[in-house]
Amino acid sequence: MSLLDIDERILDVAKLADIVKSPIVDNKDLPEVDVALVEGSVTSDEHYHEIQLIRQRSKVLIALGDCAVTGNVTRLRNVFSKEEVLKHAYVDLPSNDSQGQMPSHPALLKLHDKVIPLHEAVKVDYFISGCPPSADTIFYVLFELLNDRRPHLEQEGKLKYG
Amino acid sequence: MNRQDLQLIAEQTNIKHKQYKHKVCVCCGAGCIFSGSKKILQNLQDTVKAQGKKKDIEVVPTGCMGPCNEGPLIKMMPQNTIYQKVKNEMVPAILQSHIIENKPIEKWLLFKNSKQKPFINSLQAPFFKKQRKIVLKDCGDINPESIEDYIVSGGYKALERVLFEMSSEEVIAQIKQSRLRGRGGAGFPTGIKWETVNKYVADQKYVICNGDEGDPGAFMDRSVLEGNPHRVLEGMIIAGYATGASKGYVYIRGEYPLAIKRFELACQQARKSGLLGLNILGSTFHFEVNIRIGAGAYVCGEETALIASIEGKRGNPRPRPPFPAEVGLWGKPTLINNVETLACVASIITHGGEWYAQIGTPKSGGTKVFSLAGKINYSGLIEVPMGTSLREIVFNIGGGIPGGQKFKAAQTGGPSGGCIPAEHLDVKMDYENLVALGSIMGSGGLIVMDETSDMVDVARFFMEFCVDESCGKCVPCRVGTKVLYDILTKICQRQASMKDLEKLEELALFVKATSLCGLGMAAPNPLLSTLRYFKNEYLNYVNLQAALQPS
Amino acid sequence: MAKVFLMIDGRQVESEPGKTILEICRDNGIDIPTMCHLDGLTDVGACRLCLVEVEGVSKLLPACTTRIQANQVIHTQTDKLKKYRRMITELFFAERNHICAVCVSNGHCELQELGYKVGMNHVHFHYLNQKCDLDASHPWYVMDHNRCILCTRCVRVCAEVEGAHHWNVMNRGVQARVISDFNTPWGESITCTSCSKCVEVCPTGALWSKQTLQGKMEKHPEKIAELMEKRKMSL
Repeated sequence: MSLLDIDERILDVAKLADIVKSPIVDNKDLPEVDVALVEGSVTSDEHYHEIQLIRQRSKVLIALGDCAVTGNVTRLRNVFSKEEVLKHAYVDLPSNDSQGQMPSHPALLKLHDKVIPLHEAVKVDYFISGCPPSADTIFYVLFELLNDRRPHLEQEGKLKYG
Repeated sequence: MNRQDLQLIAEQTNIKHKQYKHKVCVCCGAGCIFSGSKKILQNLQDTVKAQGKKKDIEVVPTGCMGPCNEGPLIKMMPQNTIYQKVKNEMVPAILQSHIIENKPIEKWLLFKNSKQKPFINSLQAPFFKKQRKIVLKDCGDINPESIEDYIVSGGYKALERVLFEMSSEEVIAQIKQSRLRGRGGAGFPTGIKWETVNKYVADQKYVICNGDEGDPGAFMDRSVLEGNPHRVLEGMIIAGYATGASKGYVYIRGEYPLAIKRFELACQQARKSGLLGLNILGSTFHFEVNIRIGAGAYVCGEETALIASIEGKRGNPRPRPPFPAEVGLWGKPTLINNVETLACVASIITHGGEWYAQIGTPKSGGTKVFSLAGKINYSGLIEVPMGTSLREIVFNIGGGIPGGQKFKAAQTGGPSGGCIPAEHLDVKMDYENLVALGSIMGSGGLIVMDETSDMVDVARFFMEFCVDESCGKCVPCRVGTKVLYDILTKICQRQASMKDLEKLEELALFVKATSLCGLGMAAPNPLLSTLRYFKNEYLNYVNLQAALQPS
Repeated sequence: MAKVFLMIDGRQVESEPGKTILEICRDNGIDIPTMCHLDGLTDVGACRLCLVEVEGVSKLLPACTTRIQANQVIHTQTDKLKKYRRMITELFFAERNHICAVCVSNGHCELQELGYKVGMNHVHFHYLNQKCDLDASHPWYVMDHNRCILCTRCVRVCAEVEGAHHWNVMNRGVQARVISDFNTPWGESITCTSCSKCVEVCPTGALWSKQTLQGKMEKHPEKIAELMEKRKMSL
């Protein structure tokens, strides 16, 4: 969603590229793309397979936001075991009724023991960190890539954590 | 006590020893005590007494004799016949047959059960024959708890000579000439260190003896301190004289209670005899020694951490320069030498630096004590001239690999060293050659591994040791070793990718280059050297598909 | 006093003898990142960020604790050093749980600034995910070990400037923790004078004032050097 923070500049991006899948373009399929911006960390088997698929179908993969780059707040649970986390959420919390139980339906995603940032699961080409990431940096990266230039994100001013 | 008294003690003790026709030495090094030698000692003394032979047979507890895993050992003098794995029920038979009937009992001789031929004079066995004992000269022959025994074997003669016939510069000149290098691991020339401390002017200087031997599988300093504490003490006093220090500290790790006890006793005896304290042997030189006991931190073997520990602070190292020679204990110039280094000193003074230098290689003088451990027939304590080949040590002295296995590698220098693979068995063991092979001399721990050893697991073991023992002060060692350990674990679990292997090497080189002290700088050595010689084992573990699997 | 001449990064500089490499670099506008160093406190050479190459010396030397010598040729910005500085920064972030988004020091954090300076766009080592405690027993301040990088500035400022010796370090390696007295709750300490110097010098959000919102904790570590300077003048 941070993409929308670039405001009217999204029109410049739209001139150069088709946005084929995003929260604002509801497409259940993932076609082959030139650039994929991925938010969020890898916390479950579903995420894991999804990021593999995205990697296979995109030429350039960008980790967008602190969750994707570092794990961020989602990583806070890593100091506990998966069982502790699930039990806390579904049984121990006061908002649960006395019959609180662990989710076990086979259709549900299976939580991994540890949350990992994207680059520990697949090769990531560019990292736009920040929580939220800077709109200027998002636009800079997209604009450079769409003009066949290599964005430089290691420089001061382009980096932002938190 | 003055010079004449020293001579008198030597003569009197000599006469006392000569009254006996026979002498039985019972090894009371830590290894033999563990296998029950104290009981054998008691039994021997009781039996001799019961048989009314107390005036003929002298029973003496001694320090380590060498072949530790054959203990308890007893040595019959003057024939030098060693009996192995002595049990209480064997004692009367040995006394009867060996001493009274003068018939050695062949079936109980040292090395009886091995391929090597046992000898009546055990020193003829290859285990001893290739050795050259300087540091361990009296170890296993004299009672470490008797200052008279040390004096009668020539002890404190070197000190006497130094105090009355030599200037500090002359002492240092002899040490320099001997090409003695620090036996603690780094191999810094001892004479230059002494000279540096001597050069600094200060109201107080210190000598520290580093007995915080912490490498897994190393027990050289322990054996020297347990087997001949006076030798170390004499070296310390001479070092004090040469550098202008009047106070000494001996830092012994708490895991060595026997070494602490015997060294403490040695100090008491020396003090009583006027060999420590004011006006030593009637000279104008004063020297006092204190013992400090390590609380179990490996890093306290690092000199600056050790100094902090003596000062009562947390045992953290600090950056050098300034080196302890300039700013040491309580900010004063301090000489810090390893136990074995100081144990060499008396012999160098007695026989001259030139004599000592000729024993070793051109760059490393003298002998080196090694503790043999691991997959080797005779584990134990040995002393060989510098430049002896690894093959000689493992196959000739150590008797090769048990169980028909093949030699795979030898780890020198413990967690700070590296492994030497079979193709380098002929390496002449000295400081430079070992560094060239990616290992270090270290303090002398030598762990032999056979074909059943998994080298990645070996690297992981040593890395785990460093993770535990890192003091946590500097970032590369504190965090870097842990990350390295995690990656090694991942490799052992066949979860790692080629990318992990690259990361492993990159990080290992980084930790080596950037850590604050020797612990961190050397922590990646076992990893890097196994990676150098046994890369295939790593590659076998790396799962090419791992990158595609959930972690 | 006689001047000493050295070459730093290809530039000839002159200085009084007895200074550290870091001091002479700062005098001459040469930027070397530091973390455990703080003007006014004793240097410990622990973070290794300020390592420099000195020609003729095989080891890298910490600029903060190494005194200059005449005619030294020093390099402070080689590719190797830059790479190592980045790796150290990554290890800082990997060691404990630095979640900038929820941190009081977000935007005013020396560790963040270090990351920007060395160009760290992600941590390529795995996170250690250590379980760390938080001590909120003091009426005004909080110690959150998740954000502590063990620079020991708090330990030193408490011992050297405040003279209270309240903070210390326990355990070894990655288990090392800054502790209050003998590892007792900060709020129960009788040695702590609640002077807040430790909070001011802490480069991250490990030590912070209660009732501070995310991103609102601003600190003034430079005050310590000013204080020490004033003390010197009053002597």
